[in-house]
Amino acid sequence: MTVRSRGALAITIAALLFLYVPLAVVVLFSFHETGSLSLPFTGFSLRWYRFVLSDPGFRSALENSLFVAAWTSVITLLLGTLASFGLARTRSRLRGPLALLFFLPITLPGLFIGLSMLVFFVRVNIDLSLTTVIIAHCVYVFPYFLLIAIAALERLDPALEEAAADLGANGWLRFWRVTMPQIWPLLVGATCLAFALSFDEFVITFFVIGPDGTLPLYIWSQLRRTVDPSINVVSTLLMTVTLVLWLVAFLFALRAARRKAASGDDLVAEVVPL
Amino acid sequence: MSAAENEATQAARARGLQLGPVLLTLPATAAMLVFFVAPIAIFVVYSFLTAQLYDVSRPFTLDAYSAALNSDLNRTLARNSIEIGLLSAIFSVALALPVAYWLRYATGRWRMVVLFLITASMFASYLVRIYAWRTMLGEHGVVNSALESLGIIDQPLGFLIFNRFAVTVALVHIFLPYAVLVLFAGFQPIRPGLLEAAQDLGAGAYVRWRRVILPLVAAPALSAFLFVFVLSASDYVTPQFVGGSSGVMLGVQVQANFTTVGNYPLGAATSLLMLAAFVTLYFAIRFGLRLAKLDRVRFS
Repeated sequence: MTVRSRGALAITIAALLFLYVPLAVVVLFSFHETGSLSLPFTGFSLRWYRFVLSDPGFRSALENSLFVAAWTSVITLLLGTLASFGLARTRSRLRGPLALLFFLPITLPGLFIGLSMLVFFVRVNIDLSLTTVIIAHCVYVFPYFLLIAIAALERLDPALEEAAADLGANGWLRFWRVTMPQIWPLLVGATCLAFALSFDEFVITFFVIGPDGTLPLYIWSQLRRTVDPSINVVSTLLMTVTLVLWLVAFLFALRAARRKAASGDDLVAEVVPL
Repeated sequence: MSAAENEATQAARARGLQLGPVLLTLPATAAMLVFFVAPIAIFVVYSFLTAQLYDVSRPFTLDAYSAALNSDLNRTLARNSIEIGLLSAIFSVALALPVAYWLRYATGRWRMVVLFLITASMFASYLVRIYAWRTMLGEHGVVNSALESLGIIDQPLGFLIFNRFAVTVALVHIFLPYAVLVLFAGFQPIRPGLLEAAQDLGAGAYVRWRRVILPLVAAPALSAFLFVFVLSASDYVTPQFVGGSSGVMLGVQVQANFTTVGNYPLGAATSLLMLAAFVTLYFAIRFGLRLAKLDRVRFS
């Protein structure tokens, strides 16, 4: 016998509709042939896509966003992988305080992080630019990356590394030939997550952005000026990028879970650390 | 290599392993101290300084705190923030509970699809969601134009947007997926057998939720509640686009202190007071859970 869950299913479907209908409407109107954003929907056209793609403001915002997200995810991958090994493997008394330091940004509202960074950069005379945005994004994204990386490391079977050590493999060899092959799918997933979070970040970015804007800033300034389907186009493109990245991350996590899971294990539960 | 030498290198390797792991965190620790801890420290100091236009000066004072606490505007905005935060948190958790329940106990391949859809919607841009609700709820928005074309209403419904309702809807939309994930993790240790046992003993859906499920997920449900409350109550973007005048929140005022007003100490003091309120709420929830003996539920 299983637990009855028909009511829960109905609410789940309602929740999915609540989550997706407004987003679907945004995507739908990006293809509208007129400038109207209300029903009836009169016909499909790509004119707003042509309009947006030929806008130099959009192009530079897209380039800036890619630049920021790329640097953020590379820096996070390097510092995060090192730190996750340190944190997962140490038995030092520093473990607790370090974990607190690394995970604190996740618990603080973005408003607070953004403002304190703004004050800091002004105080130490660092001009606001894409570099300050990258720094802020690294602080914001780091705990998410670490969460996944540590979960991946803690699920490893220590016997494999011990066996490699007994067979004479040194630290580097164990790292590259034993540990990495087991955890890289989740590290790739976590890096995609870092990229997506950075690509979409607005709340903190707003305070530390210089003269060059990112894509969310571009949407923000558009939202304050006009309301026409060009915003829908930029929104659709932005969502496509983050969703594709999330799909990649999700599939890598699924792959890691499938490899790890015995036949009876619950795959859905295994994917969640991501 | 002699046995003694071999032992010596082994010992060195063991010591290296002892020291090594913490050293690996050094770059990240240094970066976090400089770019996270130092900014917060400076921010706290700012809240005790005297305001100049877009600058601060000595002497140290508590003026910003008394101004933040005594301003009528701040009080109104704080009330708005608390109300909107509470409503968003209550609706998010209430909706997330059955969804997480279904994700945990349903069977079949659709679970993975639903899990993907829920998490994927987290990555549908924050700003786009706010914009989506403006499109949906606006005077000439999708809801109004749909109802009009169906002949249900003649005049656009004015109460849909530029108020607390619209802010709450958009915030629930933004934070619901997080609440689902927290609760899904919370449901993990509750084996289906427990619920089947309750069902076999004749407990209907209501009794199962009231007597079995809710006490067991009280702790994760409250952490989801706190999470949504903190992020909603401190939001400063959503109210600017769908809040109108009745939906303005404290975060908007804090932001203004740094951008258009130029009173850094007041903004810093206000946001630190907000943070203090959140921390207090966190400890109140933990204390309440302990009183109700729901903080450490044993599942075996």
